[in-house]
Amino acid sequence: MVSSTIDHLVAVTLFIGALLLFVGMFNQTIQTAVLFQQHSYIATKCSDLLDDMLLNPGYPANWGQTDTTPSSFGVQDPEFTQYQSSAFTLMRLQSSNGTAVTYSKTGLTYSNTTTSFGNFLLVPYTKTINYYQAENLLGLNNTFGFHLTITPVLKVAITENRANWPTSLNFTINTTGTGFPLPNATLNYYFLNVTEKGAITPPSYKIFNGTAYTDYRGQTQLTFGNAGDSYALIVYAHSSGVSGLGYYEHITSTTNYPLPLIASFKNQTLILAHSYDIHSYGSPAPVFFNATLMILTQNLNLRAMPMGSSNGITGSINYGNGQPYSTLTIPTSNPSILIITYASSSGYGVILMPWGLSSMSFPLVFGGNVNNKEWVATNIREITVNGISYQAQLELWSQTAIQLVT
Amino acid sequence: MRTVEVLIVISIITAAFLIASFYAVLPSPRQVSPLNLNRLALTTLESLDNNYALSTTAFEPVTNYRWSALQAALSASLPPNIVYNLTVYGLTSSSSPVMINSISNAASLGIGSDAASYLATSSNVTFNVTPQKISGRRGGTLYILNCSDANGWWITGYTSQQLAQDLGNMLSPYFQKTIMVNKTSQLGQILNGTKITTSSLENVTGAVIINTCGECVPIPSGYYATQGSQDGYAKYGWILGQKVQKYNWTWASIVGYPFYYVSNTGLFPNSQNGWGIYGMNQVGSAGLNAFLEGLDNQSYVNNGNWITDSLSGHVYLSSKAIYNSNYYGIYPSPYQTATRALQTFITTTYHLTISTYVFNTVGNDNPGALYRHGTSGGFLALGLDRPPDIRLTALGLLSDYQPRIFNSLYTANGTSRLVVLQLGQVGGV
Repeated sequence: MVSSTIDHLVAVTLFIGALLLFVGMFNQTIQTAVLFQQHSYIATKCSDLLDDMLLNPGYPANWGQTDTTPSSFGVQDPEFTQYQSSAFTLMRLQSSNGTAVTYSKTGLTYSNTTTSFGNFLLVPYTKTINYYQAENLLGLNNTFGFHLTITPVLKVAITENRANWPTSLNFTINTTGTGFPLPNATLNYYFLNVTEKGAITPPSYKIFNGTAYTDYRGQTQLTFGNAGDSYALIVYAHSSGVSGLGYYEHITSTTNYPLPLIASFKNQTLILAHSYDIHSYGSPAPVFFNATLMILTQNLNLRAMPMGSSNGITGSINYGNGQPYSTLTIPTSNPSILIITYASSSGYGVILMPWGLSSMSFPLVFGGNVNNKEWVATNIREITVNGISYQAQLELWSQTAIQLVT
Repeated sequence: MRTVEVLIVISIITAAFLIASFYAVLPSPRQVSPLNLNRLALTTLESLDNNYALSTTAFEPVTNYRWSALQAALSASLPPNIVYNLTVYGLTSSSSPVMINSISNAASLGIGSDAASYLATSSNVTFNVTPQKISGRRGGTLYILNCSDANGWWITGYTSQQLAQDLGNMLSPYFQKTIMVNKTSQLGQILNGTKITTSSLENVTGAVIINTCGECVPIPSGYYATQGSQDGYAKYGWILGQKVQKYNWTWASIVGYPFYYVSNTGLFPNSQNGWGIYGMNQVGSAGLNAFLEGLDNQSYVNNGNWITDSLSGHVYLSSKAIYNSNYYGIYPSPYQTATRALQTFITTTYHLTISTYVFNTVGNDNPGALYRHGTSGGFLALGLDRPPDIRLTALGLLSDYQPRIFNSLYTANGTSRLVVLQLGQVGGV
C-alpha cells in the first residue's frame, strides 16, 4: 500500500515536472517562429513603404514647391517617372540629425541640414514636414517607426594643399562610391576666386572652369594660379550614369557672415540674416554681401542666372535690434546654387547654399530614432535627384511588437 | 509501475519534440528579413541609364572603354557586400536572345540572389512621324502675316517676323502649303482672292490666316485703305470679316483684343498707337465688332462697344486641348491669364458656333475658342494677356482641324538589348 502510494507520488511529480518542461520547450519554439514571422512581415513592409515613398509624388504633386502641408506623402519628382525624387520635396523634410537654429527676428526655428561651415541649408519648421506628420500621412499611425536616409552615391572629397600659395594652389580630388572608388570619372570643376574690396564693400569673384579626369584610383590633382585668400571649388563628377558633387571653401573669417534662411518655397524667397544674431560668435560687425545664383544644367554644367541684376544682388546687413534682415528672391524653380561672397571688418569669404537638395549633393536624414528597437528591417534603392545619384535607405521597426512570455 | 508509465510518456513526448524540431526548420535571419535585391537591381539599372549611359554602353563593342566604365560605376554605386553579374542580351525577332557581354565582380553570387531586367534601346533608332496634311475643303494653305511694312502690338518681347517664323516651323508639316505674306500688298492680293505664289498647292479658298501682329492687323494701302478708312478704319475690320466668310478662311488672332489697331508703316508714317509705336492707327473696340458683322454678312454699323472681359485668376486649357497637347507634342502652360476674353453673346448675335474650346468657358466669357460661322468662315480668338504664346495658336488650330499623325512602326531588328543585373549578398548569414 505504502509502495503504491510512493509510486503514485513519484509518477505524478515526474509527470507534472515533465509537462512544465515540455510546455516551456514547445513554447520557446513557437515564440521563435512567431518572432520570425513578425520580422519577415516588417521586412516586407519596409520594402513596400520605401517604394510607396519613392514612387509617389504625394498630393499635391508639387508640394515641394509650396508652403502647405501635403495631404499625401511621397518624394517622387512629379515631372518624372520611376525612382526619380524631387530635390525640393526632400528639402522640405525636417532633418533628424542637424541642430536646429532659432532666429529671433523671425521668431522661427529652422531645421538644419547644413553639412559644414559655408554650406548652409536652413528651413523653418513651419515650412517642413516632420517625422510625425509623415507617419500620419503614410498611414502608419504609431504602428511602425521609420528612419529614411538619402545619401549621395558618389563622395567627391576635396583636399587643399596651400604649400605654394599664392603662386599656385593645389587640390586633390577623390571620387568614391558606396562600394569602391570611381576611376576614369569626368570632373567638371568651377573655381570661384574671391576678390576682396575692403571691409565695407562686397567682394567680387571670378569663375575658372574646366574638365579633368580621375585616374585608376579615382583621384586627380587640380592646380590654380594666383588664387586669393578666399575661394571655393565646386566639382561635378560623373561616369557611366553615376554622378555626384563635391565642394570646398576657404575663407578668412568664420565670424560675421550672412546666413541664408529659407523664407518661402512657394514665393522662392530667402532671408539673409546676420550670423551674430544667431550664433553670437566673436565681435559683431556689419556684413556686406554679393549674392548670385548658378543653375545646374542638364549636362552638369553651372550657368550664372541673373538675380536682380546681371552682377547679382549686393547689400549689407547688421546685427542687433532694429537692424532688418535682407530678403532675396530666387528667380528659378530649378535646382541651383546660391553663391554669396561677403566682407566685414573681421574678414571675407564665400558661402554656398543649395536651392534644391541635390544641387550640392546634400544628404538627408529623416525620421525617428533607430536605437534600442527590438528588430529593424532595412531596404535600399538607388535613386536619382535632378541628375545626381543617391541611395535611399529605409529602416523600419514595429511600434506594436508582439509581447512574448520569456 | 506508474513511474515506469510516466517515464514511457516522457520518452514519447521527448521523441515528439525532437521529431518536431527536426522538421520545423526555422529560416536564417537573412531569409527572415531579406534585402530586396530585385528592387535594388532594378533601381540600379534605372539609375545607370539616367542619362542613357547604360543604353549607349549596351550597344558598344565589348572592347569599348564604356564597358569598363560601366563596371566601375556598378562597383561604385552598389554597397560593398553586394556582388553582381550584369549580362546584356541582343534581341532579334527570329531567334533566342544572344548574349553580348557579361561583367561580374565575383565568381559566384552566394547562397541567394535575385535579378532584374531592363530593356535598353539603341540611340541610333529614328522614329519617323508623318503628319496628315490638311487639304481639300478644309483648306490646305496656311498664310502667316509676316508683313515687313506692318508693326505689331501686344507681342511684347517678340517681333511679328519672329512669331511668323516659329509658327511656320510648327505648323507647316500639317499644311499642303505654308506661305509667308511678306508685305501688306500681298495681303491685298489674297484679299482679292489672288494667289501670291505660282505653287499649284496654294489655294486661297479655305485657307488659314494667322495674324502675328497681335492686337494690330496689317492693312494694304490703296483700295482697302480707302474703303476701310471709315470710322477710324473700323470698316476695314468689316471688310476682313466679309472676306473671311467669302473665301471660307479661318482667321487666327494670337493675343489680346483683335483688330484694335491697323498698321502700315507707309500709310501711317506719322501716326502712332498712343503708346509710341509709329506706323499704326488706333481703331478701338469697333474693329472687332465690325469684323464679326462682316463675318455674319450683316450691314456695316459702327459699334464701339467693348465686348471682352478681363478675367481674374487663371484660365485653364480645355480637356480637348490638353489631349491634343499630348497628341501633337505641343506643351504650352495649361493655365494662362485672360484679359481680353470674348463674351459668349457673340455666338447668338453673329450666328457662330464654337467648334473648338481652347480654354474652358469662364462664366459668360470664352478666353480662347475657335468660332465657325453658320455659312462659312472661322475665327480663332485667344483673348489672353501679353506676351503671346504662339504654341496656343498652333494648338487651337490643330485641335480644330485634327490632322492625324502616323508614327513609323518600331520593328527594326537589333534595336533593343536586354540587360539583366543579378545581385547577391556576401558575408553574414
